[in-house]
Amino acid sequence: MPLNRLGILGINRRNIDYTARFNPRRRYPLVDNKLLTKKLCIEGDIPTPRLLAKAEHHFELATLVQRIEKLDDFVVKPARGAMGNGIVVIVGREGEGFQRTGGRIMQMDDIRYHASGIISGLYALGGTQDMVMVEERLVVHPELSKVAFDGVPDIRVIVYRGYPIMAMARLPTKQSDGRANLHQGAVGVGIDIGSGLMSAAILRNEAIDTHPDTAEKLLGRSIPDFDRVMEIAMAAAEKTALGYLGADVVIDAHKGPVILELNARPGLSIQLCNRAGLLPRIQSIDAVAGEPRSAFERLELSREFARAWRQA
Amino acid sequence: MNRSVAWTGSILLLFGVGLFVYRFWVLGMPLLPTDPEGVWQVEMDVTLRGRGPGALEAALPSNDSHQIIFDETSSSEGLDLVIDHEGPGRLGVWSGELSGIHRIAYAFRVRLSGERFALASAPVRGEVPKSVTKAYLKSTPETPAASKEVAQRLESLGLPPSDDPSGRLRTIFAFVDHQITTVDEGTDDALLTMVEREGSPRGKARLMVTLLRAAEIPARLVAGLRLEERRSPDRIHWVECWIDEGWVSVSAQGDFFAERPKDVLQLRYEDDVLIEPTKVFAMDSSYSALRQRLSPRDLANMMIPENPFFAAVSLYRLPVPTQKALRLLLLLPLGALMVSLYRNLVGFRTFGTFMPILIALALRETSLQAGLLILGLVVGLGVVTRRFLEGLRLLVVPRISLLLCLVILLVLGVSLVAEEFDQRDLVGSVFPLVVITMLIERLALVIAEEGTRNALSRAFSSIVIAVLTYPVFRSTVAEHLMFGFPELVIAIMGCLVFIGGYTGFRATDYVRFRILGQGGESIPSEIFGIAPETEGKTGAP
Repeated sequence: MPLNRLGILGINRRNIDYTARFNPRRRYPLVDNKLLTKKLCIEGDIPTPRLLAKAEHHFELATLVQRIEKLDDFVVKPARGAMGNGIVVIVGREGEGFQRTGGRIMQMDDIRYHASGIISGLYALGGTQDMVMVEERLVVHPELSKVAFDGVPDIRVIVYRGYPIMAMARLPTKQSDGRANLHQGAVGVGIDIGSGLMSAAILRNEAIDTHPDTAEKLLGRSIPDFDRVMEIAMAAAEKTALGYLGADVVIDAHKGPVILELNARPGLSIQLCNRAGLLPRIQSIDAVAGEPRSAFERLELSREFARAWRQA
Repeated sequence: MNRSVAWTGSILLLFGVGLFVYRFWVLGMPLLPTDPEGVWQVEMDVTLRGRGPGALEAALPSNDSHQIIFDETSSSEGLDLVIDHEGPGRLGVWSGELSGIHRIAYAFRVRLSGERFALASAPVRGEVPKSVTKAYLKSTPETPAASKEVAQRLESLGLPPSDDPSGRLRTIFAFVDHQITTVDEGTDDALLTMVEREGSPRGKARLMVTLLRAAEIPARLVAGLRLEERRSPDRIHWVECWIDEGWVSVSAQGDFFAERPKDVLQLRYEDDVLIEPTKVFAMDSSYSALRQRLSPRDLANMMIPENPFFAAVSLYRLPVPTQKALRLLLLLPLGALMVSLYRNLVGFRTFGTFMPILIALALRETSLQAGLLILGLVVGLGVVTRRFLEGLRLLVVPRISLLLCLVILLVLGVSLVAEEFDQRDLVGSVFPLVVITMLIERLALVIAEEGTRNALSRAFSSIVIAVLTYPVFRSTVAEHLMFGFPELVIAIMGCLVFIGGYTGFRATDYVRFRILGQGGESIPSEIFGIAPETEGKTGAP
């Protein structure tokens, strides 16, 4: 199979030639710990979901519970979780209990037990101590809620040396249980950097044109506020000083695009969704990345390149 | 690949392999822990009864390209041994004054090697040495090659031309093998065997020699033993004939053709009497053979070379318990190499980096099937119990510790059951238990988080790597190589540098991105509502 001809980036090459080269190890905690990411975003005026409560030790759980008591909807997540593991989304109250996405009910005790598991490092990379964070729940932009089943779709933008080079949307399905994780059966949609239009879609490695649950047509649909999505992704890359970054952006109905999390070793399936390899795009950027440019200039340059990338 | 990576890898690899090659090539350290062909201990026992002067002649083995004789010993009660070196073989003669019963024992060790001869194709140009043609073409009473019956028979066989001795040998072999019946009590005479179409093994061998000589191929009768491990060796004869540049062995009974089997010991040429007494009332004789392996002590001696530097760094000088621990330790780099191969070149996903080799290490103590069965049982029960513990809402560390206790109890139970069925137990060392516990915890977590399918696929690839690593860990050859030649660790480091610098695709990348290769359909441009020309306001870079 001509993976080389297509310019597909393999995991070995990504690790050696890109992440190891452009992402200094000491900056990894900035993205691996979502609390640090949030702090960084606030410093840089980059929109991110509001933090409602956090707990670092088991004894802080009581305070956390008190804060939650008053809330109707929120998200509980581990600060150092991976692949969306350990995230609980509460969409409303149901008497004494809380209603999760998908309709299941959780009691306060369940939430407390879950939070305690998070602190013990159950979902953390490497199984070390972790922190619980409670964030505001984002409301999916109506444009995107048509193509997402019971969950929050997100936009992943790969920013290479300050330039956005590839993007995809991950749309939750019934099968993925509301999660935006391709492994679990979410739809992956390639997005054209130049126009912000959905250009190709896959579900579990099969090409599709419509969302499996909502039957809405995907191809040709545009991502709302896509310029802003790329802007905040580039701003996050600049703030973290990571040269090869995956920024996960959620488009909130009220706040517009917000940074949900950052990834220093972004996955390679994005190439599948876009039906294109990363290498030609990386090479285009390598040719011009020497000169300093403003964010606006970089974005314009990427969009210029996008025409050639689309044809490749 | 990065240049400094290539250099580092090459230097490590060359240094490790170079030292290894030097040590086995120049210093002659054995590559294998045992001799694959084995060493045979062969004994001849003869009991004689007689009075007055008497003697015993016995064929003694001699060195040739297929057998090396060493450690010869002889004991005889009151008889003197003289070894006669005349002719192509050796003859031992025990003689003296006999008074009643005498026992003669003669023992030696022999290292045998077999060979398959490649028969030269026609036309053969090699000159046959004069000494060979002189001795092995002549007509004798036992091998009447010059008789007219033989000439007629050869004519009727329609032999290939004389520059094709291999073809002639094949024709004669086919005739003797297929058209002459072997009868143990049959005639020993070559001509009678030929005419009656049946004869004793000896008669057939003689006939074959006769026919070959008449066909101008030098040939001789060989007598010897076919060694067997559990019973006394058979006395056999076969024929050797000179084709092109050397002697080629053929069995007149069709047991082998152009091959010297590796269990055949040559004792005598031209005559097939192995033991012959003179002036003796009665005699009883027997041969026995025993296959010997290289003893650990022999091996250790060979592994400490004479060179004082290498002798000083030989691990074989360490006390045995230390050696045992180091042997296990030195297998780990091999396991790590395999894990790196499977993860970075093949692309298997596993539970933890070294989990598979730790599983393989745990399995090392048991047989593979039993080990996997027990592992599956313990892990399965563990996952079920963890589900139950989930309901109790315990903190993580005490919960994992509970699992560890449970695993220990399960292993105790398994050991008791295994004892009942007379099987070896699974209790190897302490850390496999922790390994099993962590395996349960991770498996349960992945089942909950990523679904049973993902968990099973990861468990499966971990087990696959463990199963593929298992034979390496069990192999005495690998153990001997790594322990005897620890420089191989440096060679492995070289390989790891190369794997670590490999930027190409993993095998699983081809599966993962396969839809990109298949269709090749590019994205239709109608999707983009805006015409490409109108977008992008800034100029070219």
